[in-house]
Amino acid sequence: MPSVSERSTKIAATVALTAFAAVALAFPELAPNPYILSVGIVVLNYAVLSTSWNFVGGFTGYISLGHGALAGLGAYGTGLLITKGGLPSFVALGVGAVLVAVVAIPIGYAALRVRGASFVIVSIALVLVTLLVFQSWASFTGGSRGLNVPRPFPGMLRPEHHRVFFYLFLALLALAALVWWLIDRSRFGLGLKAIREDEDKAETLGTPTFAYKLVVFVVSAFFTGLAGGLYALWFGDLDPIFQFSILTGSYMVLMALLGGVRNLFGPLVGALIVGSALEYFKVEFGNTPLHLVATGVLLALVVLFMPDGVLPALGALLRRLSPTTDTSIREVTAAELAATGGDRQHAESRNL
Amino acid sequence: MLSLETFELTKAFGGNLVLDKTTVSFQHGKVNALIGPNGSGKTTFFNCVTGLIRPDSGRISYAGADITRRSPHAIARAGLGRTFQLCRVFPRMTALDNVLAATRPRGANLLRGARGRAEIDRARGWLTKLGIEHLMQTEARNLSWGQQKLLELAGVLMSEPETVLLDEPAGGVNPALLDRIGGLVRDLNAEGRTFVIVEHNMDLVMSISDHIVVFDRGRPIAEGPPSLIRTDERVLGAYLGA
Ligand SMILES: Nc1ncnc2c1ncn2[C@@H]1O[C@H](COP(=O)(O)OP(=O)(O)OP(=O)(O)O)[C@@H](O)[C@H]1O
Ligand SMILES: [Mg+2]
Repeated sequence: MPSVSERSTKIAATVALTAFAAVALAFPELAPNPYILSVGIVVLNYAVLSTSWNFVGGFTGYISLGHGALAGLGAYGTGLLITKGGLPSFVALGVGAVLVAVVAIPIGYAALRVRGASFVIVSIALVLVTLLVFQSWASFTGGSRGLNVPRPFPGMLRPEHHRVFFYLFLALLALAALVWWLIDRSRFGLGLKAIREDEDKAETLGTPTFAYKLVVFVVSAFFTGLAGGLYALWFGDLDPIFQFSILTGSYMVLMALLGGVRNLFGPLVGALIVGSALEYFKVEFGNTPLHLVATGVLLALVVLFMPDGVLPALGALLRRLSPTTDTSIREVTAAELAATGGDRQHAESRNL
Repeated sequence: MLSLETFELTKAFGGNLVLDKTTVSFQHGKVNALIGPNGSGKTTFFNCVTGLIRPDSGRISYAGADITRRSPHAIARAGLGRTFQLCRVFPRMTALDNVLAATRPRGANLLRGARGRAEIDRARGWLTKLGIEHLMQTEARNLSWGQQKLLELAGVLMSEPETVLLDEPAGGVNPALLDRIGGLVRDLNAEGRTFVIVEHNMDLVMSISDHIVVFDRGRPIAEGPPSLIRTDERVLGAYLGA
């Protein structure tokens, strides 16, 4: 029996989701020009990346700064499968993502053995190694001259092309979110969260933590690869320095942390905020390192004042503002407590 | 019947020899106690047995099978459950989820909802047995120390271990709670569960255990029923301090 405040949070979430879906679906029509539409695509791409990252970061608490490399592998995999393998664009996208997932098995096997700061460092190494490989293996990857990925819809005009890709990214976001939600409510998901809370304890209860981590890492890599590949099809031009950048992974982390890693929509909210802010900084101040400074400050603020992210902070605010009966645990009688199975107390204790 | 046994189990931390060729066995279907002074290696012994720490040498077997190099989850699945001296729960999960996290789904079951009716009923059963059912929806970090200890025990029992290792179940727990834990151990033992209990509270140890092993500096120096241990001179010298 959910308490009043829990119900109001749920209603607020449903309203917000419906509003987001409506705006997102109408966005290509509402966008005043193709540039704004392309910003929408970039933000959606960030949202998919960050949601994909959150399969690992949110469930297990392992902070990967290396997911940029997985996105880059997805992008290059897709591009190379088209240019060198002669595959149709969307077949290449799917095969590319599967390949990223396969490559993620040995990567995860090595990286997930270490925890905490060591894992972060190993994940950074992944980006550096892939960058080196893709830069120096010029005969295959095009090196720093870049790789041209043929457009999937050759005859299509630019605004129409943006429109189509906006919806493709939106569909991919919905798919990633759906899978995240399915895991979140599953027994597998509960096991992953146990790892986040206390990995050794989870082991002693009989959870094969390493296998759990590896599986969810591969799922995460698959969606990250899809996001990278779809970006390659849309953007059409890949450069290793941008594809295998430590920044991409850092943005994913920042967005997820900002929105809230325990929440399905946390990464999306983070992407909306950070993605738009990044574009704004680029337009307003050009190619200065200013956006990096701003990102750093934002990260510090989040960590200091909203360690759980925007969404939980909003939820708490909502609960405090909503006129509910459960204002204080001391006003709840024992009989009421028994009747609600302690739900009130739960809702209250989370407010503390 | 074979239960938990170690053969020349050795573990040193740096130059600190904590387990020194420890050869010991515990009786199946009984309430065993493992006692000894602070730092005598009791917790380290549990950590080795449950796979959290690799011993330097020696063997550990359980129910006739060698479990020395198995991973902790495999040892847990073989039937050995444990609690921790500094009790460990999943702080940001509700009490209910803490207990549900102890189920061991396999295959397609992994993707089923975590809060199945049958599981919830079973979890509620354990929480009720330990008297914390009303806190089911409370996050574990908001429970008191004693409640967290009860919750940890509920989680371990949910995983249905054949043998339960308890590391100081009475530590920091009030006398009324102590009786509840003691009674529960007795009940569960009557249903066939084996216990190995590390405990400093001698009243509890003497009243619930069938068999006592005394550690001193990582070696068993005495073992036997409570009546014998109570009067053993080496034990009195090393531990009971009389
Ligand atoms: N992880 C570790 N690293 C280094 N030394 C350790 C470690 N764990 C235990 N020790 C050392 O091993 C010795 C035995 O510790 P242990 O915790 O096993 O004793 P204990 O019998 O459980 O004591 P207590 O009754 O106080 O809980 C101590 O000297 C301790 O400092
Ligand atoms: Mg100890």
